[in-house]
Amino acid sequence: MAASETILSVKDLRVRFRTLDGAVEAVKGINIHVDAGETVAVVGESGSGKSQTMMAAMSLLASNGEATGSVDYRGRNLLTLSKSELNKVRGAKISMIFQEPMTSLDPLYSIGNQLIEPIRRHRGLNAAEAHEEALKLLRLVHIPDPERRMKSYPHEMSGGQRQRVMIAMALANDPDILIADEPTTALDVTIQAQILMLLAELQRKLGMAIVFITHDLGIVRRFADRVYVMRQGEVVEEGEAEAIFVNPQHAYTKMLLAAEPTGSKAPPPASAPVVLEGRNVEVTFRIGGGFLAGEPLMLRAVDHISIRLQRNQTIGIVGESGSGKSTLGRALLRLLPSDGVIRFGDRDISTANRQAMRPLRREMQLVFQDPFGSLSPRMTVGQVITEGLLVHEPNLSGKQRDQRAVEALNEVGLDPNARNRYPHEFSGGQRQRIAIARAMILKPKLVVLDEPTSALDRSVQKQIVELLRKLQADHELSYLFISHDLSVVRAMADYIIVMKQGKIVEEGPTEAIFSNPQHAYTQTLMAAAIDVTRFRLSA
Amino acid sequence: MLRYVLRRLLTAIPTLFVIVTMAFFLMRVAPGGPFNQERGLSPEIRANLEAQFGLNDPLWLQFVHYLGNLLRGNFGPSYNMPDFTVTELFAKGLPISVQLGASALFLALLLGSVLGTVAALNQNKLGDYTVIALATAGSTIPTFVIAPVIQLLFGLTWKLLPIGGWGDGAFINKVGPVLTLALPQIAIVARLMRGSMIESLRSHHIRTARALGLSDWSVVVKHALRGAILPIVSFTGPAAAALLTGSVIVETIFSIPGVGRYFVDAALNRDYTLVMGTVVVIAIFTIVFNLIVDVMYAVVDPRVRYD
Repeated sequence: MAASETILSVKDLRVRFRTLDGAVEAVKGINIHVDAGETVAVVGESGSGKSQTMMAAMSLLASNGEATGSVDYRGRNLLTLSKSELNKVRGAKISMIFQEPMTSLDPLYSIGNQLIEPIRRHRGLNAAEAHEEALKLLRLVHIPDPERRMKSYPHEMSGGQRQRVMIAMALANDPDILIADEPTTALDVTIQAQILMLLAELQRKLGMAIVFITHDLGIVRRFADRVYVMRQGEVVEEGEAEAIFVNPQHAYTKMLLAAEPTGSKAPPPASAPVVLEGRNVEVTFRIGGGFLAGEPLMLRAVDHISIRLQRNQTIGIVGESGSGKSTLGRALLRLLPSDGVIRFGDRDISTANRQAMRPLRREMQLVFQDPFGSLSPRMTVGQVITEGLLVHEPNLSGKQRDQRAVEALNEVGLDPNARNRYPHEFSGGQRQRIAIARAMILKPKLVVLDEPTSALDRSVQKQIVELLRKLQADHELSYLFISHDLSVVRAMADYIIVMKQGKIVEEGPTEAIFSNPQHAYTQTLMAAAIDVTRFRLSA
Repeated sequence: MLRYVLRRLLTAIPTLFVIVTMAFFLMRVAPGGPFNQERGLSPEIRANLEAQFGLNDPLWLQFVHYLGNLLRGNFGPSYNMPDFTVTELFAKGLPISVQLGASALFLALLLGSVLGTVAALNQNKLGDYTVIALATAGSTIPTFVIAPVIQLLFGLTWKLLPIGGWGDGAFINKVGPVLTLALPQIAIVARLMRGSMIESLRSHHIRTARALGLSDWSVVVKHALRGAILPIVSFTGPAAAALLTGSVIVETIFSIPGVGRYFVDAALNRDYTLVMGTVVVIAIFTIVFNLIVDVMYAVVDPRVRYD
């Protein structure tokens, strides 16, 4: 392989977005090059401009964006090509896969239709030939039963399968370069590993260069030959992957590498009082049914689960999407109807109605995954976090509530002046702090944390993990920590429950589970998340 | 799918029953009756008429009789136009209203979609602002202003169109009323289409289509437009039911013998049977078009499945 031939070279690329507040420069004059057949990673946290760099190269910027500089592909500047010339390169010589497998395929057309369209366009094959070609591609990406899948629609496939179809579409015309924009971020860890292995296999077979845009250093370590580290629209460090991991130069790179959450949590003494107990908890959903529509389908989302949470304990509930872990958390808080026995402290709350639950609610709080959707955009931060006080401590004066808001914000490490501003003025990490302040202001005993760090950058995750730990130590809180992210769970929880299809497949103290997982499913999860062996050595 | 349609048609029966019942009794709550107008009939004649039409029977009995007739497809005689049965009135007028309404709807969907798409593709540019300005004008200027303006300009000044009348359905006679009916609908469809097209163009699969190097035509028409059409489909249901059952204003201004006038005239005259007939016809149109919309949804969007 002609390893040194540069096929894509980005020079002094700047990307600007016109906004109501004036022009925002997302990419500030960067230089990147890609050689034939190599794997390049562009690493950075959200807002670093890593995606916009590649969007600009492909002329896929939003309509208010503009790019200057040059993006040379084999001697032609993609930024100045006419649309029709550009469309001969896009999808043929340079192709792209995206972060969102669920929405990146057109929901209204069959897989076959969507695969055939770019093949016919770029290669001028007739319908029958393109059909054959599409079948070949589906086999190449290991889609089982490709004949039948050609007729399927995207919604009939899982996220992993859709990402495979995306990859098949991207490879349809034998590209020189495959740009993969966070291709596995939205997938479960076991599926992530499969997709990465597939990409490695395809690269070996087909020899294209791959540009990985990612925030996940694990992927970089396993995959990349060369790395560009981006921050705030600039490349702060570049070099061979090995060198960067062993000997990072820039402070930001060092910070990224150190951002993996560390530490562990000691279990509470056996004598600690039990805060929450569930016995044989079951949640069943009805699907369909009704007048003249026949019998409904019953889906058991949580199946006979027993759990016992002590004061100052953190139980990590681990599982992939659809495993029922969030449903369990909600059922235990009586936010969903369930069967079985649930006790909170010394009270049986299995059948408590909303009124009976209300006084207990202040002691059991919930923090959600999405810091953007879970704060009302029309209330100030102060109103958001003191809203619970209006219900649970109605006697407080406005001044006292304000004082409590100041205390809560101090406690989560935010400037108390933030209380007069609105949620959209804050970053994801800050918003998650606000959400935590909203829970803490009521001085709860139990907090259910439903993927509280999943939407955040690694470095921010680490800060949130530390904050949660500090709050737990200060107030002897009990946490139910729901997450698919094993490294965060390992740092937070002293006891782990592994769920699959509504059932517990394995449970035990954190270190025992990590050092010696018993169940095959747990082992798969571990292997997918922790393993750092490289898929591919430099060509 | 067939089962779904049958089920929906079955559930339409109780719906219709409730509508008929409510309309029947509500109308009787309103003071007055079909035969006490200002000119006044002599009490004897009025009593005779009321007896002839069974209006002296207890209300529940009248209701039972009406239901019985309705089940046999008999809407009864019109009280105010005694030479015609309600069925005859609809047989004459409804095809006219349906023709006008269907043409207007077709025009609105076609022009509205095109205008909306053009606006979306030129978002916040001249083309967009032009369409938005036209659409705002179209939806704010009332029909009773548009209609006379059309009559004045095209009819009187330029003598291109007849001022009014049905002319046995000659094409030239339909232009004015169809345009008048269609203009506000074009405006609504254009606005709807613009919004949903902008959203559709921003969706991830459109980015995919662009990244695959597909032509603009394919990106816009094959991928974006089909996704954007769904809100238009749901708008079409109620819009069709309203347009096809005639418009009082348009039919009055252009002297069109459709059924749009009946609702108002009959209600004012307490022409019970004609009001009931109109209610039933509009209800059936609404139910049927909503069903068609739901079926169309499944045709356009493979994620929608009924069984």
